[in-house]
Amino acid sequence: MAQFSPVTGRYVTIDVLGDECKVFFLENGEGQPLVCQHTAGCHNHQWRDLLEDEEITSRYRVIAYDLARHGKSDPPRNKEWWKEEYRLTADYYTAFIVAFCDALELEEPIFMGSSFGGNVALQLALRHPDRFKAVIPVEAAEYSPGFFLDWWQHPQANAAQVCASGVWDLMAPQSPEKDRWATWFYYTQGSEAFRGDLYFYSVDHDLRGKLDQIDGEKCPVIMLTGDYDYLTTPEDSKRTADQIRGGEFIEMEGIGHFPMSENYPLFKRYLQQALRRIEERTGARAG
Amino acid sequence: MAAETAAAERWIEEFRRATDEDPEIQAHGKYYSCSYLLDMEEHSYLVKMHGGKVEEILVDPGPLDDRYQFALRASAGTWRKFGEEVPEPMYHGIWSASFQRDLKLEGDLLVLMQNLRCFTRQFELLRKTGVPV
Repeated sequence: MAQFSPVTGRYVTIDVLGDECKVFFLENGEGQPLVCQHTAGCHNHQWRDLLEDEEITSRYRVIAYDLARHGKSDPPRNKEWWKEEYRLTADYYTAFIVAFCDALELEEPIFMGSSFGGNVALQLALRHPDRFKAVIPVEAAEYSPGFFLDWWQHPQANAAQVCASGVWDLMAPQSPEKDRWATWFYYTQGSEAFRGDLYFYSVDHDLRGKLDQIDGEKCPVIMLTGDYDYLTTPEDSKRTADQIRGGEFIEMEGIGHFPMSENYPLFKRYLQQALRRIEERTGARAG
Repeated sequence: MAAETAAAERWIEEFRRATDEDPEIQAHGKYYSCSYLLDMEEHSYLVKMHGGKVEEILVDPGPLDDRYQFALRASAGTWRKFGEEVPEPMYHGIWSASFQRDLKLEGDLLVLMQNLRCFTRQFELLRKTGVPV
């Protein structure tokens, strides 16, 4: 008997600041839209267990897309992208996410992203508090320098392995080995985008001195960070949440920088706390 | 001193065996050939790898005894934490400890990057063998 997953994949073509982007996304579930962004240099399989978690998908429409240049989403189709160095900016990244949510006609989606997806969640809360019901920045901070490195694409090293083993320590040693290796495997696939993504993560994303402009009452910001994350430590995220009006921070114990992918059962406990807080604060039951 | 020497010799044999018998390094280490120094403050160890196998490990090499391509230097306390079965946060790898603790990565880091997959695995074998400081 064949075992089919309830998760389905589709493409949608969107316009992002003039770029024609054919975007691949996976989805499952019904109810409150929950839009999920993968980490830098990776793709939507990081959300594989959430997408198949009936306890969540019975109440939430979980949507995990591949950002352009990642996974099954090609680089822009109407542009000679190979003639430029890829450097992701906050302007482009937020425009992409809003265009994607508009194309799917999502009403008041909750946005969740990890790492560079967590940092863009903060950018969305700042720029588009009316477009999102709430954001869940995972492993995020107002500023996260130090990872825009040339090693990710050095011609004398194996870029696939440098990217994958270079992020290995971002995971907790006690996370299940098979899930850490799945995450490692995804990272061997994204080296061409990784460095350019990290331009956003470590350079262009800088909300120092601007966090007081985020209205976390209008658009709740519930931050989650694992204690094995050396890039964005729990202290970094707490400091960020403390500067956001209505910002909240939950520390995750025994997990690292790719929580949804390295140890979903543990991450789920914290995610459910975050979703409950959003329900309490927005007065709306999901589903 | 004799006890310390014996302990260092024991560790060398355990680290050699753990490496040479590790399925992952043996599956992917065909080109894992390089030399590196582990500076543990109280002692240092120069490890020479060839084709995924430990070729030689020198204890406390003298100033001109031999050469290496890159070095990892940290306090003895940090190395002891690397050697725990489940290291506490920030002592769970060379990236975390160099970003957040006192580990210094020195020398030709390109060689480290070229061998990062196997080196990362071998470094984690310290959680099985412990560290000789």
